[in-house]
Amino acid sequence: MTTENVTLPGHDLHGGGAPAPPHRISQGMLVMILFLGSEAMLFASFFTAYFMIRFNIAANDWPPIRNTATGARFVLPKGITAVNTVFLVSSSFTLWWGEHRFKKGDRKSLERGLLVTIFLGLTFLVIQLNEYAHLGFTPQNKAFGSVFYSLTGLHGFHVLVGLILLTICYVRTRRARDFTPTRATVLGAASLYWHFVDVVWVILFLLVYLL
Amino acid sequence: MATHAPTHAHTDHGHGPGHHAPARPLSYWWKRAFVAVVTGVLFALGLVWFCRWAFGFTPLWEPQAYFTAIFIFAGIGFLIGIGCFDWWWDYLRGHRVSYEDHSMHGATSWKDYCRPNTDHKVIGIQYLVVTFATFVIAGLFAEAVRIQLAQPGEQFVNAQTYNGLFSEHATLMIFGFVIPVFAGLANYVLPIMIGAKDMAFPRLNALSFWLLVVGAVLLVLAPAFGAFSSGWTAYPPLALQGTTGTTMFEIAVQFVGASSIATALNFMVTIVTMRAPGMTVWRMPLLVWANMTTSALVVFGTPFIAGSQFMSLYDRVLGTSFFNAANGGDVVMYQHVFWFYSHPAVYIMMLPGFGIASEVIATFSRKPIFGYRAIAFSTVAIAILGFGVWAHHMFVSGMASWIRIPMMMTTIVIAIPTGIKIFSWLGTMWGGKIHLKTPMLFAMGFIVAFTVGGLSGVFLGSVPVDINVHSTYFIVAHIHYVLFGGSVMTIFAGTYYWFPKMTGRMYNETLGKWHFWLTFVGLNLTFFPMHWLGTQGMPRRVSDYAPRFANVNFFISMASILMVLGTIVFFYNMITSWHSGPRAPWNPWRGRTMEWLVSSPPSLFNFDAVPQVVGGPYQYGIPGARHAIVFAGPELGGGELTETEKRLILVVADQAVASQVLIDDVRKRNAEGFWRFTFVVPSTTTDHRAAERRLQVALAVLAESGIDANGTVIDAPPMQAIDKVMREENVHEIILTTFPVGSSPWLDQDLVDRARKATRVAVTHVTIRPNDARGAVDSKSVQRVAIVANVDIDNAGLAALVQARSDTQPLTAVVLCPLSLDGPGWSDEAEEIRTEASGRTATLIARLQEAGIQSRGEVIDGTPADAVRLARTAHHANVVLIASRPGDPITETDEITAAARGMSVEYVTTDGQASTAPGAAEGR
Repeated sequence: MTTENVTLPGHDLHGGGAPAPPHRISQGMLVMILFLGSEAMLFASFFTAYFMIRFNIAANDWPPIRNTATGARFVLPKGITAVNTVFLVSSSFTLWWGEHRFKKGDRKSLERGLLVTIFLGLTFLVIQLNEYAHLGFTPQNKAFGSVFYSLTGLHGFHVLVGLILLTICYVRTRRARDFTPTRATVLGAASLYWHFVDVVWVILFLLVYLL
Repeated sequence: MATHAPTHAHTDHGHGPGHHAPARPLSYWWKRAFVAVVTGVLFALGLVWFCRWAFGFTPLWEPQAYFTAIFIFAGIGFLIGIGCFDWWWDYLRGHRVSYEDHSMHGATSWKDYCRPNTDHKVIGIQYLVVTFATFVIAGLFAEAVRIQLAQPGEQFVNAQTYNGLFSEHATLMIFGFVIPVFAGLANYVLPIMIGAKDMAFPRLNALSFWLLVVGAVLLVLAPAFGAFSSGWTAYPPLALQGTTGTTMFEIAVQFVGASSIATALNFMVTIVTMRAPGMTVWRMPLLVWANMTTSALVVFGTPFIAGSQFMSLYDRVLGTSFFNAANGGDVVMYQHVFWFYSHPAVYIMMLPGFGIASEVIATFSRKPIFGYRAIAFSTVAIAILGFGVWAHHMFVSGMASWIRIPMMMTTIVIAIPTGIKIFSWLGTMWGGKIHLKTPMLFAMGFIVAFTVGGLSGVFLGSVPVDINVHSTYFIVAHIHYVLFGGSVMTIFAGTYYWFPKMTGRMYNETLGKWHFWLTFVGLNLTFFPMHWLGTQGMPRRVSDYAPRFANVNFFISMASILMVLGTIVFFYNMITSWHSGPRAPWNPWRGRTMEWLVSSPPSLFNFDAVPQVVGGPYQYGIPGARHAIVFAGPELGGGELTETEKRLILVVADQAVASQVLIDDVRKRNAEGFWRFTFVVPSTTTDHRAAERRLQVALAVLAESGIDANGTVIDAPPMQAIDKVMREENVHEIILTTFPVGSSPWLDQDLVDRARKATRVAVTHVTIRPNDARGAVDSKSVQRVAIVANVDIDNAGLAALVQARSDTQPLTAVVLCPLSLDGPGWSDEAEEIRTEASGRTATLIARLQEAGIQSRGEVIDGTPADAVRLARTAHHANVVLIASRPGDPITETDEITAAARGMSVEYVTTDGQASTAPGAAEGR
C-alpha cells in the first residue's frame, strides 16, 4: 500500500474522514456548503413560483380561498405555526449546544443534544402534518394550494432528511464512536444542514404565513 | 512502451480488492440490481395503491401516479442493487468503515467497467461510453427527422410521432450527451491535471455516473411508452397533455440533474482542495477554470429545472394547478423557472468546450496561450452574465414586456467575453507553429462554426429580430451552430486529444481527418441553409412545410448524411484504435499540463508521489520553462518520473548541417521537450563523403551535448529523402535548413511549402547564411586541426590528407600560411607574395569546404613557429599539421616545440604535384 503512505495535503481520497489542516475547510464541510447553495436555489425556484402566482392575484384577494360556509377569506393558522417555528428554531440551539459541549470532550452531551434535536424536529413534523389535516384545502385547490403544499412539503421533506442525517450522527456517536472533537466532519455537515433547514423555515414562515 | 515506472493501471501493486470484501463476480451485482428494480416496482405499486386507498382517491388505478412512483423507485432500487450505496449503508448502521476503502477502485478487465467503480479514470470512460451511445441514438432520431423533412407532406410519420422524434433528439443530445460527456472528459483528465490522485468524493462520483445511467435509460425508453412530444423544453400546457413518455422525461431529468449536481459539487471541492503544491489559481489549466465555473453554474442553476419539472409532474400526477390558468396558475412562470436553468445550461454545455479548445489550441500552436487571464476572467464573466439573460428565450411568450429590453442588453453584452475568448484563441494561433492534427482541426472548426452561431445569437438577442424568427428554422440553425458546431466539435477535439492518454493507444490520424472534414462540411451544408429557411418563414417543430422549401430541405437532408458518415468513421476509428492502435507515448502532443507527465494510461492512483507545480501550464517555446515535476514513488527512489520514449524531429539540411546556428537551434529544441532527432542529408552527387563528413561533425557536437541524434545521407533529392524517412518513422516535426532565398536551390524549388503539404506535419524553416555554415563549430568533440604550410599549401595531396583524417574523426580546419619575408613588408614584391599566398590558402579552404570540412584560414607574417603559436592561442587547435614539400621539409625545431606547448604537432610531406583550382561550391 505504498500510495496510502504518501499523504497529500487535502488528498483524502474518499472524503469526509481525514481531519483538515487547521487553516483549511474540510472537504465534507465545503461540499455541504455548496450543496446547501444548490438547495437554496431549489427553494428559490418554488418561491419564484409562489410569488409569480401570488402577483397574478389582487393583494386583498390573497389567499384566493374562501370558507365555503361563511365566505370569509381564508387565513393561514399563524399562531400554531409560530409555536411550531419556535420548536424548530430552538432545535438549532440544542444541536449547537451538543456540538459545543462535544468540542470540549463531552460525548454524552452530544448524544443528549442530538436526541433533543431529533425530538424537536419530529414534533415540528407532527404539528405540520396535523396542520395539513386541518387546513381545509388541498394541493388541488387553486394554484395557491399547489404552491403552499409544495413549498411546505419540500421543506418538510428536508426536515425529514435532516432528521435522518442527525439519526445517522447519533448512531455513529453511539455505536462507531468515530467523531472526535477535532474530527467530526459528518457531524458538522449534518448540523449545518439542520441549521439551513431552520433558516429556510423562518424565511418561509415570514413570506408565506406572515407576508 | 518504454517506461521505467510501474505505472499502468493493470499492474496492481496491492490496492486491489481485498481488505474490505471478497471480489464478487459481475453477475452478482447485476442480479442484485435486477432484484432491486423488481422490488422497487412492487414497492411503488404498493405505496401508491396504499396512499390512494388511505386518502380515499378514486379511481384507485391512475396510471400516471403509478408510473411516476415506479420509475422513481425502480431507479433508486437499481442504484441500491448495483451497489452504489453499499459503503454508506455500512456507515449509517454504525459499522466500522474504512475511509480509504479501495475495494471498488480501478479496473483490471472490462467487467470492472460494468459496475460501480470509484476510480475517476474508470468513471470517465464509463461516462464516455454511455454518453456516446446516447449520442448515436439521438443522432438516429435526428436522421429520422431529416427523412421526414426531406420532402413536403407527412410521408414517413404522423405529426404526433414527428413531435416525439425531435423532442427525443434534443432531450437525449442535451441531457444524455453534451452535458454528461463533458463531465466524463473532465472526470478523466481534471484530477490528473491538478495533480490529484482522484476526485474528492470517489463514491459520490460513482453514484453520479449511475444516476446518469438511470436517467439515460429512462430517456431512451420513453418513446416505447408513448411519445414524449412537447419538445425538450416541455412547456405546459403541452407537456401536461403528454402520456407516460412525458412522465419518464420529467423523472429522467431529475435523475440526470442530480447526477450533474453531484458531479459539479465533486469537481468544485476537488479543484478547491486537491490541487498539487504550487498550483495557484493562475497556474491552473484553463480546462480547470472552465470546469470550476461550469460546476458553479450546475450547482446553482440545475435546481431550477428540478423545480420546474417537479411542478409539471405535480400538475400531471397530483392534479395541482401550477400551470392551470383557470385555477390561478401561470404558464409563463414555467418558462421563467425553466429558462433560469436552461439558459445557464447552454453555458454548461459550452464552457467546458471552451476549456478543451484552450488546451488543444495552445498545445498544437506551440505557443503560450494568448491572454490566459482574459480567458479565465471571461469564463467567469460568461457564467455570471449567464444568469441574467434567461428571458431572451421568452420574447414572444407574453411575459411582462419591461423585461425585454434589459434582457436584450445583457444578452448582447455576453458577446463581449465570448469574443475575448475567440480573439484569444486566434491570438494564440497567430504566429504559432500549428500542428494540424485532428484535435486541432476540430478546435479550429469549432472556432469557425461557433463564431457563426454566436453571431446569429447576437441577432436573436435583439427583440425585433427574435420576434420575427423565433418560431422558425433560424433558431434551429443557431442552436445547431452553437451546440453542434460549438460543443460537439470541442467534444470531438477533446476525445481525440485525450484518446492516447485514456487508452494508451494512438488513433488513426487519417481517419480522424476524414471524420473532421465530413463533419465540418456536413455541418455547414446542413445547418447553414436553415438560416435562409428561417428568414423565409419555415416554422420549426412542424412535420410538414410549404412546397417552396422542398429543394432546400432535400439538400439539407442529403447533407446530413455526411455527418452520419463522419460519425461512422469516428466510431470505427475509436473502436479499432482502442483495440489495436499503435502504443501511445506518454506525451504524444508534447503537452505541458500534468496529465501528459504521467504514463498512458496513468497508474492506478495517477501519481505515486506528490507532484510539484513550478510554472504556468502553457509556456510552450519558452526555454527551460516547466509546468510541473512529477516524482516517482518511494519504491523507485522518488526521483523525477519521466518518459523514456522520445518523439522524432526530422532535420533536413545539406551544406548547413554542421552550422553553429542549426546546432544551437536543435539544442534549444531539445531543452524544451522530449525529443530525438534524425538528420537527413539529401545528396544527389556521386560522392557522399563530403555530406557524411559534415554530418559526422554535427552528430559529434550533438552527442557531446547529450542530445539523442542520428543521421544518414540519402542518395535522393530532398523531397524523396523526406518521404523515405516519413514512411519508415513516425515523424513529429521537420526542421528544414536552407541558405537564404537567392542562394538556395531548395528554396527555388519551393521545398518548404511542398514539404508542408506532402507530409502534413509541422515544418520549421531555419535559414543559415553560407558563411555561418562554413565557419567552424565550437565543440570539444570536434578536433580542430591547424594546417601550417607555406609554399605548397594549395596542394591537392594536402587536402586529400586532411580529408582522409576527417573520415576517421570529425574535424574542422584552420589553414595558416606563414610568410617569412626578409625585406620590408610594404614593398610591391612582398605584396605580390602575400596575394599569391592568400590565393593558395583560399584554394585549400575551398577544396576542404567542398569535401565537407569546415575550414577557414589566413596568411600571417612570421615563421612556422609563430603560426603554431597562433593556432594554439587564437584558434584553440588540438593538432597542428605542418606540411612541407619533400625536398624542403620544415623540421622540428625547439622554437616550434616551445610554441606548441604540449599541443601535438605532426609533420607531413606532400608529393608536390601542381594544384588545380576547385570549382565553385554549389550554394545551398
